Amino acid sequence: MNIHTYEKFWLLASMALIVGFILTITYGSVGLGIAMVDDSEPTVDPENLNDHPDFGDPGVEKAGENEYDVYIRAIQFAFIPYQIEVPAQSTVTFHLTSGDVIHSFSVVGTNANTMIIPGEIATVTVETEEPGEYGIVCSEYCGSGHHDMEALLTVVPQDEFELEGDE
Amino acid sequence: MSSELEREIGHDEFDPKGTLGLITIYFLILVVLWIFMYFVEFVGGDLTVVGVIA
Repeated sequence: MNIHTYEKFWLLASMALIVGFILTITYGSVGLGIAMVDDSEPTVDPENLNDHPDFGDPGVEKAGENEYDVYIRAIQFAFIPYQIEVPAQSTVTFHLTSGDVIHSFSVVGTNANTMIIPGEIATVTVETEEPGEYGIVCSEYCGSGHHDMEALLTVVPQDEFELEGDE
Repeated sequence: MSSELEREIGHDEFDPKGTLGLITIYFLILVVLWIFMYFVEFVGGDLTVVGVIA
């Protein structure tokens, strides 16, 4: 078979491009530790979230040195709690579940974005960097008040952070 | 038939340099856009989701 030189060049270049795509994504997950939301968490009873040890009293909890757990319940049409404060330069894991319908947890302008499914716990671990404010919205249509469903995530400097009792 | 041809060239003599140039430019745009999208927009953004591969 006689393949033209330019065609060979194009075939090799497009092959190299695909290999490059795969390499960057492999580097992202192995080198940088970027992960996707998975189904490794246990299920909960969406009818009785008040009795759940963590979701019955949602909010920010300290999990370790510079590590925090944030438990958030989504209902029509709010996030509980709706104001979340976490320190900068720390690892924050959001644990999310819903008491009624499918919602979503989208930290606007970032990669932290997942569905919240009743009965399931979605966990998203992020690294906070600089102090700042992020809006959180529900981006999964959940009913007539969907557009009002929002929360505020504030990343505060580490020395200003205080763990509040209950939110 | 051959009398209507201006000149006849062989398989490897046909060199569409303009097409090659265009495709090279498209290719470079693709590479640059991918690097921008992945490393600047996706990885560079705050609150990137991290974790261990399950």
